[in-house]
Amino acid sequence: MGTTLGLFLAALVLEQPAQPADAPLADVARRVDARLVKLYGAGGVKGLPAYGTGVVVSPTGYVLTINNHLLDTSSLRVHMADGTRLEAKLIAAEPELDLALLKIDDPTAPDDLPYFDIGLAAKAPPPRPGTLVLGFSNQFQIATRDEPLTVQRGMVAAIAPLAARIGVFQVPYRGPALVVDAITNNPGAAGGALTTRQGQLLGIVGREVSNELTQTWINYAIPVWASFELTDAQGKSRRVSLTELVEKKEAYKPSNPADRARERAPSVETGIILVPDVVERTPAYVDAVRPVSPASRAGLQPDDLILAVEGMAVPSIGAWREILSGRRPDEPMRLEIRRGDKIEQVVITPVKLPATAPPKPANNPPKPAANPAR
Amino acid sequence: MLGALLASPLLPALAVAQPDPRVLAEEIRRVEVVRRVGPSVVAVVTGGGSGVVIHPDGHALTNYHVVQGQGGALRCGLADGVLYDAVLVGLDKVGDVALIRLLPKQEKDGKDIPFPFAPIGDSDTVRVGDWSLAMGNPFLLAADFTPTVTFGLVSGVQRYQYPERGMFEYTDCIQVDTSINPGNSGGPLFNLDGQLIGINGRGSFDKRGRVNSGVGYAITINQIANFVGTLRSGLLVDHASLGATVGSESDAEEAQRTRVVIANLITSDAERRGLMLGDEIIRLAGRRIGTVNQFKNVLGLFPKGWRVPITYRRQTEGAGTQTRQVLVRLMGYERREVDENGQPVPGGGQPPKPAKPGEGRPGGPRPPMPGRPPTEVPEGPPSPALKLYEEKAGFANYHFNKARKDAALAAIVTGWGDLARSSGVWTAKGKGLLGEKKIEGPVSLTWSELAKGKAETVVARLDGVEFMLEPLKPDLTPQAMAEPSGSGGMLASLHLLRLLLSQGEKAFPAGLNHAGERPLYPPLDQPPEDWFASRANAQVLEGALGGLRFAAFLVAEPANAATGPDRFLAPSGPQRLACLEVWLDPDEDPCEIHLDRVRPLADGRSLPHLITSRQGDRNFMRLEVESWELR
Repeated sequence: MGTTLGLFLAALVLEQPAQPADAPLADVARRVDARLVKLYGAGGVKGLPAYGTGVVVSPTGYVLTINNHLLDTSSLRVHMADGTRLEAKLIAAEPELDLALLKIDDPTAPDDLPYFDIGLAAKAPPPRPGTLVLGFSNQFQIATRDEPLTVQRGMVAAIAPLAARIGVFQVPYRGPALVVDAITNNPGAAGGALTTRQGQLLGIVGREVSNELTQTWINYAIPVWASFELTDAQGKSRRVSLTELVEKKEAYKPSNPADRARERAPSVETGIILVPDVVERTPAYVDAVRPVSPASRAGLQPDDLILAVEGMAVPSIGAWREILSGRRPDEPMRLEIRRGDKIEQVVITPVKLPATAPPKPANNPPKPAANPAR
Repeated sequence: MLGALLASPLLPALAVAQPDPRVLAEEIRRVEVVRRVGPSVVAVVTGGGSGVVIHPDGHALTNYHVVQGQGGALRCGLADGVLYDAVLVGLDKVGDVALIRLLPKQEKDGKDIPFPFAPIGDSDTVRVGDWSLAMGNPFLLAADFTPTVTFGLVSGVQRYQYPERGMFEYTDCIQVDTSINPGNSGGPLFNLDGQLIGINGRGSFDKRGRVNSGVGYAITINQIANFVGTLRSGLLVDHASLGATVGSESDAEEAQRTRVVIANLITSDAERRGLMLGDEIIRLAGRRIGTVNQFKNVLGLFPKGWRVPITYRRQTEGAGTQTRQVLVRLMGYERREVDENGQPVPGGGQPPKPAKPGEGRPGGPRPPMPGRPPTEVPEGPPSPALKLYEEKAGFANYHFNKARKDAALAAIVTGWGDLARSSGVWTAKGKGLLGEKKIEGPVSLTWSELAKGKAETVVARLDGVEFMLEPLKPDLTPQAMAEPSGSGGMLASLHLLRLLLSQGEKAFPAGLNHAGERPLYPPLDQPPEDWFASRANAQVLEGALGGLRFAAFLVAEPANAATGPDRFLAPSGPQRLACLEVWLDPDEDPCEIHLDRVRPLADGRSLPHLITSRQGDRNFMRLEVESWELR
């Protein structure tokens, strides 16, 4: 009975529409802004921004952000809401959540920062589609120093696992996502906050991703309650959750990316060796062709660029892998390739992956020193 | 509560969807606002953008990039479905603003039908999280000019957006998540009271194409308010620079706090006012400065030639910290495109600056309109707007410059009665101050007879000491022109004053131009607490004679009498000459002759009875006139 009543009450709370007469949005924005930071790190090349956003999750300066290229540097800086400039370091990253925990690493940093209580936020009932939400981030690096971040409003359009949806690529996060109708995921927005109308934290704004089928952009956030089961290579089950990452901090043990790579690895062998996958959207250039392989039989050559498979665009190596993981052996595939100035079509028939196949490249391999991007 | 519970078994869907009455009230209010302001929204057919009418006489605002390259005659549609002829009035290339004027239709009795116009808001009160309405003609959707409405949040205020190719520097602008798309350019941004708070014109675009990316920018109406009085004069208005660049500097110990300091300084008014390298800028035009962006934001609010107060702090070894407020005359932003004679300067104009990647304006290439041919602009006789358009190098539309100049000159020459008939000797006698020191004996100013072939003289007698200038004498030394020493050329300035009052434009063969509107500050000995608030809005005429350049300031009397839309768009009440600034040397401070306490003479004509001569930060002489004699 008690449970029923509780649910009933919760439902009533959720039915409350957005109330324009509530706390002015300006006050909500100020309160949220004080709990966010501007991040500066790696990037600035190949269209990757060198700036981003982070959410302060402890009074001592732990900051949650997206686990992206920005963190790939020894010099990570944060600008606090009051314009203070401080150093930060990476504490832990969870590839399955696509999140990273940073710590402000500066003797002068205060230890009574305004912050979001993640534990509390994760316990709040999740929003339903149709709920008004606010997005906060330093997209396009519009704000500098103590200038307030961009605030946008939208609605929760859906709560769904992005990776399970056909046609979405380049989303390392595979749990349920808060999909919103506002254009929150612009350059530099990753790591921003998605909140309720009242400023309660709902999720961490994700990357810029698009649906490869429709070429439309998807705006999403990783919910604070994100938590799901993983099965590793040994068949052992383990749960990853955002709250665990924030609670355990230095003691957090990330999941093994190799497990996931295996899970996503192609199930067929083509004999095509692509160039190293260095940037988010490395084009699928053929680096080499294994002798006596489906690729050599199809006449593929080094420097060919794979444009499409069965009419579906292949904008990146990641997309190629996704496609291959869904193919069956001995099923011919029509490839569209660019060779020199010409567009050509070849048909390749992949074979079954040999049991003793060479180790497959990880999904996010370490970045090689060479510069193979053309 | 009980009612809702009882009703739910019967009408579950309705019970769930029953909105808060406050939400409904907000909705009704929004719909009402859209209906009320919609008629003022303009579809700029020529150029494919939007605009908004700000005055019942048809003056309307749009973006520079909408009317750029479209010539002087435009066509605009209003929400009533009627196509109007319109004429270009003034252009602000850097700020991306254009002032245009729609031509009214006539009633049967020949009277102009007034236009619906948007009430002007105060963009300084806009806050992050406020709701906003953008209206206009995105994608040129409406063939009948019914404006499209988009609704969204103010995402940021006081934003700075870098210029693109030397143009379109959006300073202190409003950032919105309200959809701004191609065709919205130049259209209004309203607050929920239906007041105009900005002109939409730009967005941050990246890989998603030149359509709404959730980040649009509007030029604030308060910035435009500083420009509109100058745009109205048919001018190409330039923005301001300080004559100094600033950088941010952090102390080693307090890396947290940055200071905005002078990093470079050229020969400029800023330098003459005593600013030095390393000085920290505390305030500019009354606004606190904490970052370089804030400095650029505030500087971008002003046209070239405006004087604004700057507060700076200087640390001197041994002398501690000094804070000082000075009034600085702002320089131009663009390199000159035409010289003093209106001839194009080779290589003029601002050199291209690199745009920030991903930035752009939603004008761009015209969007395709699926399924419909482009809006037909009927061919016909030459546009009636051309009657109000005169092309001249250095002007957006010389027609309006001439009209305003003629009106201002008439105010000078006839405003105080027929002064031209007294071509003889003029004398003003009274008592006065030299600097802040009282002049013991009588003070007088004497102008000689103005007659062809006769030597003209101006004489000032200060307590028995006589200073004289014969302005037409050949081979005058700069020292002679600058008499009395320390005045910056008071006698030469008084001579120009007499010519202007007696002869008007005839005295200046090189011609006069209307230079728009600028603030005029009272000639005070000590800086007031809030210098910026002490300013009066003045119309300015500029001209040259011989080697002298001058600017005549006219103020409306009584001050701030205008109401309603007139308050925003240049008050047109009676104007009077209030100040004459004369430059002997463009790199020196001008001599200012301030004219106050205008009182009637015995013959019914009027003249000022307080004459203050000032240079730089100091009053040189102040004369309280006890008697005027005009022969």
